[in-house]
Amino acid sequence: MLTVAGYIVVGSPALLLAIIGLSMLFGHRLTERFLAQLTETSVVTGLIAALMILGMMLLTDVRHVPVELGNWVDIPEEHFHFNVKFLFDRLSVPFVILTFVLCGVIGAFASRYLHRDEGYHRFFLFYALFQLGMILSSVAGTIETLFLGWELVGLSSALLVAFFHSRPNPVMNGQRVWTVYRFADAAFLLGALVLHHLTGAGDFEKLTGAGPWPEGIATISPSNALIVGTLLLIAAAGKSALVPFSGWLPRAMEGPTPSSAVFYGALSVHLGAFLLLRVSPLLEQSLPLRITIVALGLVTAIFAAVTARVQTDVKSALAFASLIQVSIIVVEIGLGFRYVALSHIIGHACMRTLQLLRAPSLLRDYHAMENALGDHLPVNSSYWPGRVSNAASSWLYRFAFERGGLDAMLDEYLLRPFLRVFQWSDRMERRWTTFLSQPASKPASEIPPPGD
Amino acid sequence: MSSETATVQKAEMAGASGLLNCQDIEKSIAAAAELLPSQGPITAFAFLNPLQGMEDIPFDEALRSVGEIYGCAPYLDEARYIAKLQRGRISVEELRAVLAEDPDESANELIADLVARKDLRLNMLQYPLYTGDERELQWVIAETDALQRFRREISHEVRDHLIEETRHWIMRDLRKARSGELQQHTPELAQALQDAVDQFPVASIEDWDDSIWERLCLNLMWRFVQQGVLMGDPGSRPSNGNQRHSELFRKVTGVDPDKLVHDVLIRFCAAYLDQGFAHWKLPDRQAGFFNSFCRLFGQTAAVGSVWLRQLPAELNRIQTAGLTPVQCIAESLQLLGVTQEEIPCYLRSCLLALRGWCGMIWQTEVRPDRVYIASPPGTLTEFLAVRLILDRLALQHCAKDVLNWQGAAGQLREDLEKQVVHKPVVNPEQQAFLIFQLAQIHGWLPQTLAEMSVERWTELIREVDSFSSHERRRVFHAAFERRIAHQAMDAVVLRTSAPAIKPERPQLQVVCCIDAREESFRRHLEEIAPEVETFGTAGFFGVPMYYRGAADAHFAALCPIVIKPKHWVIEDVVYSLEESHRTRAKARRVLGAATHSLHVGTRSSVGGAFVSTLLGPLATAPLLSRILFPRLAARMHRTARQFVAPPAVTRLRLEREEGTPAGQEEDQIGFTLTEMATIAERALRDIGLTSNLARLVIFLGHGSSCLNNPHESAYHCGACSGNPGGPNARALAAMLNDGRVRRILRGNGLDIPEETHFIGGLHNTATEEITFYDLELLPTSQVRSLRLAREVFSRVAERNAHERCRRFESASLELAPAEALRHVQERSEDLAQTRPEYGNGTNAICIVGRRSRIRGLYLDRRSFLMSYDATQDDAQSSILARILGAVIPVCEGINMLYTLSAIDSQGWGSGTKLPHNVTSLLGVMDGAASDLRPGLPWQGVDIHEPVRLLFIIETTPESMIRIMDENPVVGRICRNGWAQLAVLNPQKSEILHFRNGQFVPYTPGVSELPSAETSLDWYRGWRDHLAFARIGGADTNGVS
Repeated sequence: MLTVAGYIVVGSPALLLAIIGLSMLFGHRLTERFLAQLTETSVVTGLIAALMILGMMLLTDVRHVPVELGNWVDIPEEHFHFNVKFLFDRLSVPFVILTFVLCGVIGAFASRYLHRDEGYHRFFLFYALFQLGMILSSVAGTIETLFLGWELVGLSSALLVAFFHSRPNPVMNGQRVWTVYRFADAAFLLGALVLHHLTGAGDFEKLTGAGPWPEGIATISPSNALIVGTLLLIAAAGKSALVPFSGWLPRAMEGPTPSSAVFYGALSVHLGAFLLLRVSPLLEQSLPLRITIVALGLVTAIFAAVTARVQTDVKSALAFASLIQVSIIVVEIGLGFRYVALSHIIGHACMRTLQLLRAPSLLRDYHAMENALGDHLPVNSSYWPGRVSNAASSWLYRFAFERGGLDAMLDEYLLRPFLRVFQWSDRMERRWTTFLSQPASKPASEIPPPGD
Repeated sequence: MSSETATVQKAEMAGASGLLNCQDIEKSIAAAAELLPSQGPITAFAFLNPLQGMEDIPFDEALRSVGEIYGCAPYLDEARYIAKLQRGRISVEELRAVLAEDPDESANELIADLVARKDLRLNMLQYPLYTGDERELQWVIAETDALQRFRREISHEVRDHLIEETRHWIMRDLRKARSGELQQHTPELAQALQDAVDQFPVASIEDWDDSIWERLCLNLMWRFVQQGVLMGDPGSRPSNGNQRHSELFRKVTGVDPDKLVHDVLIRFCAAYLDQGFAHWKLPDRQAGFFNSFCRLFGQTAAVGSVWLRQLPAELNRIQTAGLTPVQCIAESLQLLGVTQEEIPCYLRSCLLALRGWCGMIWQTEVRPDRVYIASPPGTLTEFLAVRLILDRLALQHCAKDVLNWQGAAGQLREDLEKQVVHKPVVNPEQQAFLIFQLAQIHGWLPQTLAEMSVERWTELIREVDSFSSHERRRVFHAAFERRIAHQAMDAVVLRTSAPAIKPERPQLQVVCCIDAREESFRRHLEEIAPEVETFGTAGFFGVPMYYRGAADAHFAALCPIVIKPKHWVIEDVVYSLEESHRTRAKARRVLGAATHSLHVGTRSSVGGAFVSTLLGPLATAPLLSRILFPRLAARMHRTARQFVAPPAVTRLRLEREEGTPAGQEEDQIGFTLTEMATIAERALRDIGLTSNLARLVIFLGHGSSCLNNPHESAYHCGACSGNPGGPNARALAAMLNDGRVRRILRGNGLDIPEETHFIGGLHNTATEEITFYDLELLPTSQVRSLRLAREVFSRVAERNAHERCRRFESASLELAPAEALRHVQERSEDLAQTRPEYGNGTNAICIVGRRSRIRGLYLDRRSFLMSYDATQDDAQSSILARILGAVIPVCEGINMLYTLSAIDSQGWGSGTKLPHNVTSLLGVMDGAASDLRPGLPWQGVDIHEPVRLLFIIETTPESMIRIMDENPVVGRICRNGWAQLAVLNPQKSEILHFRNGQFVPYTPGVSELPSAETSLDWYRGWRDHLAFARIGGADTNGVS
């Protein structure tokens, strides 16, 4: 029974994606109304199944329901296997329910908000992709399953940022998001490999010991935990926009309002924190790792709090406000308050979704508040009155204005070296090919500039 | 520019400071500012022509240049016009008529001895010619049946003629040429013929069927056209010089230095203009744009992008040298190598590159009364100074990074210009393919083509070339406008030739706004209640004022944006309810303060953590209810609000003592008695309501309600600067009810009967709700009339909602009127709804005249309606002059904004609403950061048919000409074709159409109007635009 419900939870978003994807692939245009109803049905089905699981877990006092799909790839002599397994426990079930609720709301919202837009179908395709990714990540029982979901979320997010692909800015920002995600994914993949190497499987149960979340005790040594944990922390930092990757979060506000709401405000941005929660028994093993996590959370929180104060547009302001909470959640995880972190995630996700969906009401809200107060809203003219000199406050403003210069830093110290290495390789390769075949070969980077 | 070179340059400049004249620069900036969007803050949406700055040149001429100046499309895409042609919204006859009347060209001139110009052009319009880039064309020629089959639309006759003649020619001449008998063909031609024929089985030439001859014919045509095009001289096209450096740089390298500059400027402009959204204000904002920029970016130890590293040194140098912003611009221009003559163009393109923000800076500078935090004069100049400094640095950075270039910027531009290949717009291959297709369409024989001289080829090529995409679209557009204009004029002529409909003893008179949305409202009202008479007038009812409601914090200007009000009016709660008012105001204040702290709290760190953990899950309640059950949520909201709303009984503080100046102070509020009498008299005389007054006269202002919509203001009354016009209607009614005012009016010969009572009201154009004001002052004798009126209004609301629903795709066409009303109400309460209503979308005409003459005409919500009675006007038409002084610019502004926004939604409009992001409490950006987006969103104009407004004015041509002469704005708009104009004879049903500066008689194209019993019968089951029709059959209802 529980297993069947488990299949439905994963199956219904997968089916939604399949229907929308295949119909678009074969050029069959579904009507807006049908698409909206399909999405609604899928979300409601998944939600009911998830609620059933919750109910039965509460009734039967089972805290841990694994659903095996077996090894999809198995090469025993290479000790390689790709194991797909879902896990329903006290962490994943609330997260699944949260995902379905918020995705359902966004689906209902978007079906009216995007009415007649030429990208209506595209939006719901990405939406289905995203929802599947979120569900897979939430219920993943092995690190490779988690990676699969994680990748789907990343892909759909980047595509949604670049939703308005006729303008250059969304495309560039979409690419930026994608690049940061790739970097984080690389760390994730390395972490998964190391984990496999250490425990022989990507199974969270093996990693975190037998007990159901959050009571498991990791079985690997502290030093190994530090290595794996650091890699996973980098992955989480990329996904949750922690310092130094924070720059992409406000840039992601390029898509239609509902996508910004659910993806960056509510679900996607918490995925990094979710990963940390999932491997929290591993974090227990290493004090330096926990200190690093707390420190990273604190630094991000301070950075975001300062930066949020100078934002002049509602979506960036909300993006940084989200970031503050996400980094506080990370601090909570680092400190070991897992239930606090989980409820913080849920509360924050709901609240921020509402705020982002209502972002276009800002002017009306301000007007209403002003009318109620009978005057213009109070604005702090100085930062910390009397304590900070003019020069320092001006410096701080500039720091916040430049968003900490994090993007410029990444460009300079991460991107540039990368490019240098690859350009150097390209040059070497050309030299070699020119040597082999007499006519000089062209550089790979010779892309013609875009026409007018 | 490194600082050393810069210093050297500066020294040079000091020696030749007269080189670039600072005054010229300031003049150029002022001129360019005229071209910026004039929208102002989005909360007081101003409907103005986006091309207002160009109204002093003719429309066609202006549109020819906007592509280059703004980079926006002047007309729709050709494909969309062709779709209209196929759907019958444009007809071939109209295209022919437009081509025939092109004044400056001889339409009948024979081109290359082949075809008359107008026929060639008509075919180019009618049959979309295929074109593509070079490689695409090669593919088409090689892989499709382009050289095997004639184009589909070619008639049998033409096809047979082509095949037959080719066969004759080949059979007759080719053999002779081969045997050397025929000397008139050049050897090259003979060879070409031979080559073409040799592709086919020559041996059986006598047995060839038509398909082989068809292929041969096409092959020959293609060969000869190719040769011909190479022979002809296409002439040279003017290249557009004076490009900005960044523009050129982007074209050459694909890297856009503007992106770097705009990234900084957008955020800085937003911070500078911020009306109070950010928690921290820009430091030293009061020092001005330039100085605060210098201080913020002059800090040496700051984080930031690599390309900005030189900036502190540069700014410090400029400040130490004590350069003013204008001098700074002059210096930058010199460093960039911009010459004196280029300055106006160059500065213009610098401003237009970020025109949304520049326009907003300019608006806060010239209209400080429209914003909370204004900018001092000269801010735009300071912006430009900053921009040019950043331009220089970005250019230098990119040039070094991409091209490894380290010289002067002026030199760089010259180099880049050389690299930009001035490719001809059409290359020979493309040109040839166009002519090849035209040759098929016209049936030009291969032989004719082979024998054409160089001169004829040149003529043909240039002719085809000159009828460019822009010209074709201009003709399409003109034909499209012509069709709608003719339909409208036909409808008016035919309607006015039937008797006027005017109730003899009107039971109720309703004065609505001129707005096109009220057309259907009034029509339904008249259909339901034939004894009702309706009027239209500008929705501020001639009462320009700053108004503050009982629950408002600030004054709002309730009048057209071009007027600056001189009077202030306040709404007071009546004395007996003051106590309750105070308690409720206090409750509102407490709630407001709580909301504000929550608003701030959820965005802060520690507070946010507590709020989100503890209260966050509670957010699901509003989240789910608002989105899944919008109706219920809205009702709960309303009920909750009622507890703290100000008490229902209020009064306008309207009267000021004679002799005190008007102002915001306690005793300066309101109008004096004389002012009130003047306003009241003018309001009635304008619409010709001077006799036969009903017992009840209702003035209906209008507003709209919607949720989650930054463009909310654009749905309110345009004549009240994007505010609801209820208070104006209320004020006018109160003035007219005043016995003292009536006495003065009686003295002026305007007698208002004792029993007549005026009521002000507000029509909500989204929910169709009508609110009346000051009903507690209604005499008991009138209660019954009002009750009846309300009943009528409630039926009108359903019908009007029903008619509106036909345009909403998400509303079923089968809705019943009551369901339709619920549907429109739901729309306005839905958080996810981007189209609460369609505003003035689809507007196309404006009729100024007596309603009785056009009553019963179905105008499909496409017409502004202004009441004016020419028979009551004096010989100088002074009433009309003052009406048109407001109506023409206001309606033209609304129409041009809709039209241009519909033509190029990204360029003139604000694009789609979906990624809009409210910034600085002033406007919207696209996504995370972009230029400010003025104009209407796509969701507001997607059903609008872009045409210039046609004014049909009931007057004589002499009066109209006099008004155009006397009022420069009206003259400019009508004479330069920014709106179309026609006059309707006040006595007869004759229309004179204003064409090329003259009034010419218009002959209707049809003799009968379609008619239907009711509006519903006419529009039912139809989503698209409808033809104008006669409602109510022949002369029945309430004819006098």
